[in-house]
Amino acid sequence: MNAAAQPVATPLLSVTPGSIDQVDWADKHYLVVDDFVGVRQLLRESLRSLGAKNIDQASSGGEAMGLLARTRYDVVLCDYNLGDGKNGQQVLEEARVRNLVNPSTAWLMVSAEKSVESVMGAAEHQPDAYLIKPITEGVLLSRLNRVWRKKQVFRMIDQACAEKDYLRAARLCDDQIAVDKVHELDLLRMKARLMERSGQPTRAREVYERVLEQREYQWARAGLAKIRLANGEFEQARQAFQGVIAENRYYIDAYDQLALSYQHMGKLEEACAILERAAKLSPNSVTRQRNLGNLALKLGNMQMAEKAFRKCIAIGEYSIMKTPDAYLGLARVCGQKNDPKEALQLLLLAQREFVHEHADIQLRAKITEGLVYHESGDYRRARKAGDDLDAMLKASPARPDIPTCLELATLLFAVGVKEGPVELLRYVIRNNHDNPLLLDEVQKIFDKARMQEEGLAMIRASKKEAADLMNQGVLLWKTGKLGEAVAWMRNARKAVPNNQRILFNAAQVMVSCLQQQGYDAALAAEAYEILHHVDHLLPGQQRFAQLMEQLAQLQPAVEKGGLAAVA
Amino acid sequence: MDDTPNAHELFLFLASTAHDMKNSISVLSGTLERLLVDASPRTESAYPQMAHMLYQTKRLNDNLMQLLALYKQVGTPAYPFDVQPLELSHLVDQVVSMERVLLQSRGIHLELDCDPRLIWHFDEDLVVGVLSHAINNAVHYTCDRVRLAIREQDGWLELRVEDNGPGYPPALLKAGEIATRETAGGVSFLTNSAGLGLYFSSEVAKMHRHRGRHGTLRLENGGRYGGGCFILRLP
Repeated sequence: MNAAAQPVATPLLSVTPGSIDQVDWADKHYLVVDDFVGVRQLLRESLRSLGAKNIDQASSGGEAMGLLARTRYDVVLCDYNLGDGKNGQQVLEEARVRNLVNPSTAWLMVSAEKSVESVMGAAEHQPDAYLIKPITEGVLLSRLNRVWRKKQVFRMIDQACAEKDYLRAARLCDDQIAVDKVHELDLLRMKARLMERSGQPTRAREVYERVLEQREYQWARAGLAKIRLANGEFEQARQAFQGVIAENRYYIDAYDQLALSYQHMGKLEEACAILERAAKLSPNSVTRQRNLGNLALKLGNMQMAEKAFRKCIAIGEYSIMKTPDAYLGLARVCGQKNDPKEALQLLLLAQREFVHEHADIQLRAKITEGLVYHESGDYRRARKAGDDLDAMLKASPARPDIPTCLELATLLFAVGVKEGPVELLRYVIRNNHDNPLLLDEVQKIFDKARMQEEGLAMIRASKKEAADLMNQGVLLWKTGKLGEAVAWMRNARKAVPNNQRILFNAAQVMVSCLQQQGYDAALAAEAYEILHHVDHLLPGQQRFAQLMEQLAQLQPAVEKGGLAAVA
Repeated sequence: MDDTPNAHELFLFLASTAHDMKNSISVLSGTLERLLVDASPRTESAYPQMAHMLYQTKRLNDNLMQLLALYKQVGTPAYPFDVQPLELSHLVDQVVSMERVLLQSRGIHLELDCDPRLIWHFDEDLVVGVLSHAINNAVHYTCDRVRLAIREQDGWLELRVEDNGPGYPPALLKAGEIATRETAGGVSFLTNSAGLGLYFSSEVAKMHRHRGRHGTLRLENGGRYGGGCFILRLP
């Protein structure tokens, strides 16, 4: 291009090298979302001059959701500020969570000025590009082409990710890094994340260090700090996150992680102060407001807790990320402010709002009710709630997540119910027999209930029970009795459905069986189901990644296409 | 600006007003560009006036963008700064496509000189903003030619916008010196209309840091055509 004196009227993309692989923009389906009719018309005109024929328009987030539910778009141009109702980010989040867009859909977020959210780096749902107004036709085409090319580079990697075969995805990254200088950093960042998700922080660290040799990228610094955090090096993590913020005070993710580091160090005041600062910079995150509310509640700062929970509920109104935690937390605040009436109203509201998405909402609302009464000194009503909870536990074998179990057991002991909580804690131990930290926590709950000896004996017995279940299965496996081992582990899984060690071993035994006795679709599906369940309990474990890869490799070649359906 | 509740409300008001103004400017410049592309000086008697309107619209937008990025708290990076690697072809593409219609309508020739494959690390939106501001500015000073030249030199990326006009007037060179001084705060926005753009550009330069070095901005007369030269250097 060094040819001087080029005429100005050359085609727009004359500067781009290798423009042979031009994208055909005419046949794509477009959605334009903006609350200002002038901008919609302008964007539509620009798209038309690219040859586009299928262009839908929406003037609000709600309208956009309706269209997204009906049509699979190739390109979405969405304004961030959409007036009342959902904003652009919330439209994106909901579209992704509800699977209304394909991984190949190009999502371009448009805004008047550069938003803090655009440098959040690690936010879960990022658009493919941010465009700042005014948008001229040429800029639009240039950015569309760039996004499209990147999507092509990442197509196979995204596919492997969707199948949760992270190790294959990482190998695909390596292949691309070797040949693609333009996307090198994006690929390295992806690879580091894949290594984290596969439980291999050492290899993730290598990738981040390789990036930092080139340039001081804050996402790589934050990545290193996160690995320290996961390793329990809280003080080093704290310093590193503070360093990231000092370099770029808009790197919001570092605030959330810094607060987490403080929390692990037991410094709740500091954690709360950091989250408060982050919430000021970027107030529209449901998760951040919830965490802030919970921390403030723990610290007894009712004013801050109330503000955060109310904000959380307000943002949640239009967001797929909305959470019952804010309602339950706010109910606790009301209880402490001696307003049990509003607390109960909130609990009713929470049960109505979340009846479909959260199976355990009734139980959690009841726990909060018990806590509200207990904390406000109404011991009679607290006991009544305790009896209700006891009855609910007896009526259904389903159990909530571990933190809720511990909270529930503590409450039940406190209001004087004895048998129910012991049973509940037995369930906790049997499903987590190799987690010493959790065992300590359970022992403390018994200590507090003045049942030290009983707790000790129960923990020991339940631990042995689970260990025996597992060891017998492993013994069968190691002695080559694969069929029996599979049957044994299947039963063990029924007895302790959420024990990660046992689940991993069950999947391992099934993979061995498939390796030695040939492929069996039903058994493979069972192994996948088990692995997805463990991943749901605790994501990012190395054994998950390894077993997923082994399973994928066992798949006969002709069936490869069906993999995604299993995942 | 004080951090009082009043200041906060004023900020929200300004932000939403700016958002609205951006929409209007988007429509205005988009419509003008469309009209100019479809027209020619021979068929349209108002062609020069339309071209001038586009020039003024672009100035409005430049100023608004710079104000938005700067006014919150001058001196500290109040802008969500975001460095990414980018091929120069993508940078130049965007600048060209933003300036093409304006330059064409004013009969100005844009000359490009860079290695399109070279990858550098910078905040794309800011650098595109600075370069298009510099070109808009050159439109005012040039005779009929503007040159955008980008090259790597001793670990720096040097981006030059040169024109073939009579050169920047002494007052502007002086303003450039003041605005780009190491210590901030020397610029007087009241006495020099070019001050804001220069100050913004030099802030953008300084935000780009790498291994203990930061970007710089310089104005001079000379270059290939002996006219004004706007020189941004990024580490």
